Amino acid sequence: MTRHSLWAFMFRRSVLRGSAISGSVLWGLLLWSLWQSAYATEELNLPATAEPSTPLVIHAAFDVPYARPLLEDFHRRHPQYDITYRNLSTLELHERFLNVPDEPDVMMSSAMPWQYRLVNDGHAQPITTPNAENWPAWAKWRQELFAFTYEPIVMVINREVMDRFGPVNSHADLLGLISQHGDALRGRIVTYDPATSGAGYTYAIEESQLSPRYWDLVAALGNADTHLVGTTGEMLDGLHDRRFLIGYNLLGSYVRQSVEHDPSLRWVIPDDYALVIQRLAFVPRLAPHPAAGRRFVDYLLSVEGQRVLSDGGNVAAIHPQLDGPGTATAMQRRYAEGLRPTPLGPGLLATLDDLKRRALLSRWQREFSGEMVGEQERP
Amino acid sequence: MTIRDSLHRRLLTWILVPMLAVGSLVLWQAWTDARRTADTAFDRLLEAASLAISEQVQWQDGQLWLDLPPAALEMLATQNDERVFYAVVDVQGHQVTGNASLPGDPRPDQQGGDTLWYRDIQLQGMSLRQGVRRSRLEDWRFRDVFEVRVAHTREGRDALSWALFRQSLAYLLALAVLTLAALIIAIRFALAPLTRLRRQIRARDPRTLQPLELPLPRELAELRDTLNELLARMRRVKANQERFIGDASHQLRTPLSGLSARAELALRQNNPELWREALETMQATSTRASRLAIQLLSLTRLDNPEYQPELVRTDLNVIAREAVREHWQRCQRQAVDLGLEASDHAVWVMGLDWQLAEALANLIDNACRYGARQVTVKVTTEPPCLAVEDDGPGIPAEHRLLSLRPFHRGQQDDDGSGLGLAIVDGIARTHGARLSLAATIPSSQRGLIVSLTFPEPPPCNTAENP
Repeated sequence: MTRHSLWAFMFRRSVLRGSAISGSVLWGLLLWSLWQSAYATEELNLPATAEPSTPLVIHAAFDVPYARPLLEDFHRRHPQYDITYRNLSTLELHERFLNVPDEPDVMMSSAMPWQYRLVNDGHAQPITTPNAENWPAWAKWRQELFAFTYEPIVMVINREVMDRFGPVNSHADLLGLISQHGDALRGRIVTYDPATSGAGYTYAIEESQLSPRYWDLVAALGNADTHLVGTTGEMLDGLHDRRFLIGYNLLGSYVRQSVEHDPSLRWVIPDDYALVIQRLAFVPRLAPHPAAGRRFVDYLLSVEGQRVLSDGGNVAAIHPQLDGPGTATAMQRRYAEGLRPTPLGPGLLATLDDLKRRALLSRWQREFSGEMVGEQERP
Repeated sequence: MTIRDSLHRRLLTWILVPMLAVGSLVLWQAWTDARRTADTAFDRLLEAASLAISEQVQWQDGQLWLDLPPAALEMLATQNDERVFYAVVDVQGHQVTGNASLPGDPRPDQQGGDTLWYRDIQLQGMSLRQGVRRSRLEDWRFRDVFEVRVAHTREGRDALSWALFRQSLAYLLALAVLTLAALIIAIRFALAPLTRLRRQIRARDPRTLQPLELPLPRELAELRDTLNELLARMRRVKANQERFIGDASHQLRTPLSGLSARAELALRQNNPELWREALETMQATSTRASRLAIQLLSLTRLDNPEYQPELVRTDLNVIAREAVREHWQRCQRQAVDLGLEASDHAVWVMGLDWQLAEALANLIDNACRYGARQVTVKVTTEPPCLAVEDDGPGIPAEHRLLSLRPFHRGQQDDDGSGLGLAIVDGIARTHGARLSLAATIPSSQRGLIVSLTFPEPPPCNTAENP
């Protein structure tokens, strides 16, 4: 997997097939599937090397290169499991689960609202292993849904900009920079298009709830003719080849790797507030091998599993005992108040509301294009 | 020990069983109350959430429009991480938005402000509490009715109602323990006089029949008085027995001392003729003495309450006929006319033939002895009755009851034992028969009818029965 497919890592999807998903859920996944059609379903098999063997079926939207160290470590510890790992797009994952809810033993995805909705509808079973019981309350819901990564959303800024206009460490700095030097930066800023990117929409809706000044920032971005794209990969490509000077709202876990090789770029976790997304896992209620599924989720939440994720998968781990660079503990110490992990709660359902999306997007378009007219009411 | 224990147990059982019933009723009440309280508390959340949503509903782009406030849903999650469902439905029943299709308010549309409706529902196997708010758009052009339907799982409610119920349960348990302790003490106090009575009875000299004297509560005082009555009866029985023994020994001593005197007198003579005369007299006396002894024995046996002979079906006609045949010759010698008035059919009773024969013998003997010239043995039916009728002087009515006592004798008696009627009385009691004495000619109070009226025998299908 090349690094331009960073979004594929997060929200992989392919062409929409079938139509079993309700309308309000469909839109975002449809959008996300538009540019991801190149990726076919990947399967990874780790046959059991100990008797008696038990099958374990994992369905995830989590690319194989990132998942492999995790799976191999788990398999080494528990060789009796005959592991089938299917990496699907988030749409496929969701659709396939609704069609065949008794196929997977574990569901993993970073599409938080969709995962939450499945669990809210009663599709998950509770896990009460010690690791699951001791998991931090903010990173789980009902003992059924568990967040196992901690990935902040960051800005990437060309050092040239910093040298010229001073440091940018927060949203307020960015707003000030764009407002004062909009002409210099015109067309050189890049961010997600919330209308075409599900992830971009998710960030927009959360930011609009977090900060009332978000709309000022959107208006300022609109004034500076900000370029709108669909994936973190596209943003990074443009930043590397200097088409863009500032990238706003990129997924931190990929940026770190990518930016390390390019001394002209700096990535910033804003210190006023920073969104944090989390990958969510659950064991379906109708899982064919629930004990195996629970064992795997327990491993995912154990010190060992989290360490493998953090070291091998390069994804920030949550486990409170892990304290290395890039872990949740370290980040929380550094940005005490600023980090805003998406709360695991029914607020995520609101994100999926169709009318809400239309309301937010119309406001976003209005602010971005600078139309200052009132209600677009039609009789 | 057993008496005290079982009274304890009875009292405890009869008090505890209703208390348990009342207790379970109270617990059930506490549980429903706890649930209602929890529902009332949490229904406020449904009310607030549905209000927060309905305030956002407006008319836009030719349809109902809603910017769903996430806080409204967060509110419903509570700290128990409830599952949350919502739906907004327009006046045609078309779902505008929502994450589940929830049922609506079944009541007809009402004018005026918002109406709220709460109920428990089942959705995909989950127990939910639902709140439905029916509201109207606050737009001057459109006054469309719509419904906001919200629902969440019951974990918080169940936790709260369980906590409330546990509190009631603790109170009730404490109350039960206190009540039980009070009850045990109360029963012990209430039963204390019984223990006193028992101790007093146990401490008595077994030979004394003196009445019990101790203060007792009313219920036990009755028992004490009954006991005292029994003791008084026993004293009378004992006095009777002592008198009987005295009389009996007196009766036996008379012929024995007579024998002794006659023997002594004869021994002073040397004439064998006189010896023979003396021996004949002595023989007659000893015969009478031995008959007396036999009668005493049979009377003692009849008076023994432990003596329960097995009664068999007996025909009174046969008994009467046998008795007449046996005594006819002797009566003839004494110039007494002994007759029989038997029934046409066999008269069956449950009885002992030898005892009945003995009774008849005593009665016939008595009649002869007391100067009757004509004696008739009668058998009648319905009810079965055996009677001996004579034309003697009879017994004055005031002496009839007295004559049943042993050793009571009429005036003209010379050598009777005075046991005859007492024995007949004993036999009558053994048979469960009623003994009655009456004058043959009631106007002149002459003559005597002694009759034994038997109870009807149980029906029998043996061949003996004609």
